[in-house]
Amino acid sequence: MRLFGSLALAASLALAGAPARAQDAHGAAPAAPTAQPSAVDTSSAATVGGTSAAVGTAEQHGAAPTTVADVAAQGHAASPAQAVDIITPHITDAHAIEYPCISGDYAMLTCEAHLPTGWIVPIGSYQLDLSPTKHVVMMLLASLIACVVLIGAARAHKRHSHAAGHPKGFAAGIEAMVLYIRDEVALKNLGHHGEKYVPFILTLFFFILFANLLGLIPYGSTATGNISVTAMLAIITFLVVEFAGMRAQGIGYLNTIFYWNKDLPIYMRIPMFLIMSPIELVGKIAKPFALAIRLFANMTAGHIVVLALIGLIFLFRSAASGAPFLAASAIMVLELFVAFLQAFIFALLSSVFIGQIREAHH
Amino acid sequence: MRTPLRSLSRPLALAALSAVAARPALAQEAEHGAAGAAAGGGLLDPHAGLMVWTLLIFAVLLFILTKFAFKPLTAAVEAREKALEDAIAGAKRDREEAQRLLAEQRAQLEGSRGEAQKLIADARAAGEKMRADLLEQTRQQQAELLDRARRDIDAERERAIADLRREAVDLALAGASKVIERNLDDASNRQLVEQFLSTIPTNGARR
Repeated sequence: MRLFGSLALAASLALAGAPARAQDAHGAAPAAPTAQPSAVDTSSAATVGGTSAAVGTAEQHGAAPTTVADVAAQGHAASPAQAVDIITPHITDAHAIEYPCISGDYAMLTCEAHLPTGWIVPIGSYQLDLSPTKHVVMMLLASLIACVVLIGAARAHKRHSHAAGHPKGFAAGIEAMVLYIRDEVALKNLGHHGEKYVPFILTLFFFILFANLLGLIPYGSTATGNISVTAMLAIITFLVVEFAGMRAQGIGYLNTIFYWNKDLPIYMRIPMFLIMSPIELVGKIAKPFALAIRLFANMTAGHIVVLALIGLIFLFRSAASGAPFLAASAIMVLELFVAFLQAFIFALLSSVFIGQIREAHH
Repeated sequence: MRTPLRSLSRPLALAALSAVAARPALAQEAEHGAAGAAAGGGLLDPHAGLMVWTLLIFAVLLFILTKFAFKPLTAAVEAREKALEDAIAGAKRDREEAQRLLAEQRAQLEGSRGEAQKLIADARAAGEKMRADLLEQTRQQQAELLDRARRDIDAERERAIADLRREAVDLALAGASKVIERNLDDASNRQLVEQFLSTIPTNGARR
């Protein structure tokens, strides 16, 4: 956890070249959380509130609704030398969601709505905590948006299918995306009779896309920046891949695990079997592992960069803040691209894996 | 500068450690940051409840989207594609038909033009022939008429000459009888005149 805050601080220092000031800005808070208003400047309450709000506006906001000092008091009061970590709470999951609200001094702040906790399902001796979290809400929101957008597009097409012509604008754009994923990504890679996996690929793409994009709006949070979510998506993909292999190859599916090459002489087959089978197995597991880590790391890294740059704006507190502002804006545009790219890559690789196992020969 | 650097190196080591042997480090991290991030714990901490939620949401979304979005959308697009293909095929067919008709028309036009030309040529030839015939006929008639006129004239002249000769004979006889009445007998005088007359050529050599 401290890693990212420290990284942000280090980045600040490297870019700003004003270590003393940075020290002052970050170091003072944990040392004297209650005395912080006097430690910064005259309008410190508004500034700190503004910090929190602006961070929340540009990105998702973490646990603490009010001030940086609160976070510090909660998380790091015990180690005053440590930097305040305001980035990690923005990225990690929480049992609360933020929403915009206006406080007395008209500064825009984030308020928290606490989600229910304690939905614990005991499975044997294991306590499965099914309490909905911020990322669950964001996933539901992404699913809702996906449903609205895609079903809306489908309905628009149905309306137009009788009349000559086709829908224009947004529905046509969604259609272009769906058709592109279907024709260029899924059907090209899935192999013969791969049509029944197309909805899976399309759902993957749009779910990940909307989950990614939700992280780019104020008060939003990227569910796909959570390793649990990406891991589950990767596991689902893994299961679909293996299922596809079993469906397509029948008993020959075993060849994708147990290497038994009939082209080799028997005295070579046995050692090759012993060497290759673990490798095949590792290869099977490496694929979803790579899928999960890639998506998680890309979404998380982009947000950390954006948050670090936004942090620099408040660190500079001068006209020089324009530079990190521009940089953060540029990175946000890049993130927009990455949101599409990662969804596309996840869908593409899933279809490639399905296609590979369906046509694997040994 | 020292403090941030040290604060950086520790978590870095921690991260490396957690990458290698995830659990203990992560547990420590989660414990440490429990207040900051209430639910998730560390960034790399898997959370079973969230995974179940993900599975649930994804499964429901897959079902709903497949049933209500992708199938109708694909069907609509395919219907449109089919309609377009039909329209294109129809247009192609129509164009081929039109081209065929055009060729037919053109051939017909060509044929009728040739026919008309032939008719004109025939008519011209017939007219020409008729004119020639008529001309020839006229010329013949003319020649015939001329011939007849000439024959008539000849006949008239012959008759006139004969008449004249008889008249001349009669006159001569009358004259001679007047003379002979006085001199000779009728017979010898007549012989004399006849002799004389026989020396005169009968036809138009002296004309």
